[in-house]
Amino acid sequence: MYIKQATALLTIALCAPAFAADAIEDDALNLADTTTETAPVTPSSWRLFSETTAGRTTVHQWGLPDTTEDTQRLSLDLLVDKRLSPEVRAVFSDRLDLNHQSDALGQKTLNSVKEAYLSWQPQNDRVLDVGRINVRYGAAMGYNPTDFFREGANRAITSFDPNAIRENRMGTVMLRGQTLWQGGALTAIVAPKVADAPNTGDWNADLGATNNRNRWLVSVSHQLADNFNPQLVLYGDQRQPVQMGLNLAMLVNDATVAHVEWSGGRQKSLLAQALPLSQAVSQDETFRNRLATGLTYTTASKLSITGEYHYNGAAVDKAVWNALRTSSMLDYTSYRELVDEQLDLTTRQAAFLRASWQDAFINRLDLTAMLRYNLDDHSKLSWLEARYRFEKSEVALQWVMASGDDSSDFGAMAQRRYIQALFRYYF
Amino acid sequence: MKLHQLSLFLLGLLLGAVALAQGTPQPNAQAMLQASDAVRNPDKAFGVTVTLIEYRNGKQTDTSTLGSYAKSDARSGQFRTLIRFVAPTRDEGKLMLKNGNDFWFYDPASRASVRLSPQQRLMGQASNGDVVTVNLAKDYQAKIGLEEEIADGNRQMRRSTRLDLSASSPDASYNRIELWVDSANSQPLKARFFSESERLLKTVYYRRYQPQLGKERPTEMVIIDGLDAKWVTVMRYSDFVYRDVPEVWLQRDYLPSFKPE
Repeated sequence: MYIKQATALLTIALCAPAFAADAIEDDALNLADTTTETAPVTPSSWRLFSETTAGRTTVHQWGLPDTTEDTQRLSLDLLVDKRLSPEVRAVFSDRLDLNHQSDALGQKTLNSVKEAYLSWQPQNDRVLDVGRINVRYGAAMGYNPTDFFREGANRAITSFDPNAIRENRMGTVMLRGQTLWQGGALTAIVAPKVADAPNTGDWNADLGATNNRNRWLVSVSHQLADNFNPQLVLYGDQRQPVQMGLNLAMLVNDATVAHVEWSGGRQKSLLAQALPLSQAVSQDETFRNRLATGLTYTTASKLSITGEYHYNGAAVDKAVWNALRTSSMLDYTSYRELVDEQLDLTTRQAAFLRASWQDAFINRLDLTAMLRYNLDDHSKLSWLEARYRFEKSEVALQWVMASGDDSSDFGAMAQRRYIQALFRYYF
Repeated sequence: MKLHQLSLFLLGLLLGAVALAQGTPQPNAQAMLQASDAVRNPDKAFGVTVTLIEYRNGKQTDTSTLGSYAKSDARSGQFRTLIRFVAPTRDEGKLMLKNGNDFWFYDPASRASVRLSPQQRLMGQASNGDVVTVNLAKDYQAKIGLEEEIADGNRQMRRSTRLDLSASSPDASYNRIELWVDSANSQPLKARFFSESERLLKTVYYRRYQPQLGKERPTEMVIIDGLDAKWVTVMRYSDFVYRDVPEVWLQRDYLPSFKPE
């Protein structure tokens, strides 16, 4: 009798998980049965979104006590990508930022014509583009030594997230030709001088910011082996000798990608470029390296972490940086302005960390954290964002804190701290 | 019979049984797997629209649409896919390229192409695309597991063969798969996908068989998440069309120029 009962209980215990699994699968199939036919969705040739922000910023100006001010911004971002014929495609992209803020934080109204170009593809393996194009090279996330067309491309920095900085920038007027073969491509770019200098006019296309000298670029990539697809870049600029670049991203294991981005070539130091008339600064052109290398690791719970080391051989080293910060204010300001315009590293070495967690705690909630750390003066910039996605909109809360000495890389930022709420709506 | 003779006899029996077991011809599991692949995948380059309807705790939470362009690699026989996000609006125009274990993600907003790890790609809905557009026979070794009657996606009892697949190529996305196919025509009915740590990643039912590109093919997949059984994705396939996908498109450098009709 006891044996029979024990056998029955054992049978139930063994079969229970199977029954539970069957019930779960039945529930899922019942749910699928109730799914109605969805209306067909066709690709659209345009996308428009508005972004409204409201925040509070701690404004930091050298020699003055910190002040607090409320800021608001309304941005409109339009992208039109339309095929005019089977071979010709037109792309136009524009962003308008209307800021309610003090002059210390930047311009109030800024329109950025991000892209305006025609693309002609007479055959599958040939593409020719002409117009203002946002060309972006670089395998790294926080610093891109091979992103040669980044200089002067951002009229407004509305976020410190590197992705947002790339999204909001202007392209360069150029003629770009590309030929492709199986596993490889050759791209050639000619970007002529169109204007002498940047134009800060609110609605100006500001071609002088991106096309104030003649430049060219050639890149070639080829899949040499499985998991080995390097991209080589050559960049010519009438202001300096030819620069070389390399991009490589390789799979380390199922969850990790390693990347290396390097550029090098003979050029003046950034300090020499900022202070061309200074007797105390060598104007020699020597071979200088720039490097960004790191790893991205993704966990099974949708958390992606990127860590990078950044090196800029053209920037000032720790000793010169310390001397510059304590000597001439004019030299210091000139150097900072040049580095900001070139979106380059301020000093020789930096570290970068970015973690993004998709569907954190609840579905549709994304958390992102970013840290930039200057290894020479130990100043840092921290950025946090929580973003919730609705069907056609997003709400986000962003927090930024810059820390370090007054004259340090991040300590000198005008926006020492800010917190802002953001609402984005897709039309 | 002396003791050592008996021992030798028993040893011989044992060895014979082992040899017989090893030599038993499998009812051609790999051929069944290939036939099952052919049911899911057209034999030439093709395009298909994929609509994903996501449910959490019984409530519809997300809908997305992808355009998928697939072409098999003459070298490996495996499908390469270029997936274009069509909806929701925030994702429109984003691209995902899968070429073996090379995954590239392209965002038209930043014009950036980023290499992804297989784990990173699994974060997005695009990963579900390869539940269908993948030639399992190329990356997995099949063994006959079990002959049994199971309820298919329409709760009809079907005589099925369970194929036990183990990863045999570094490009395999899953460590192990249990795939139930109809014993008569190798139509895939149900599958369970496992990770290296033997964690059930997803259960998939293949259903709504319809004539598409010359064959009865499943046009709906019901995907049940392995970790959270209340997360169900209904994946519908429509607009199957043979379409040329030029070789040169299937690489990172072409992604910024990709603009289908």
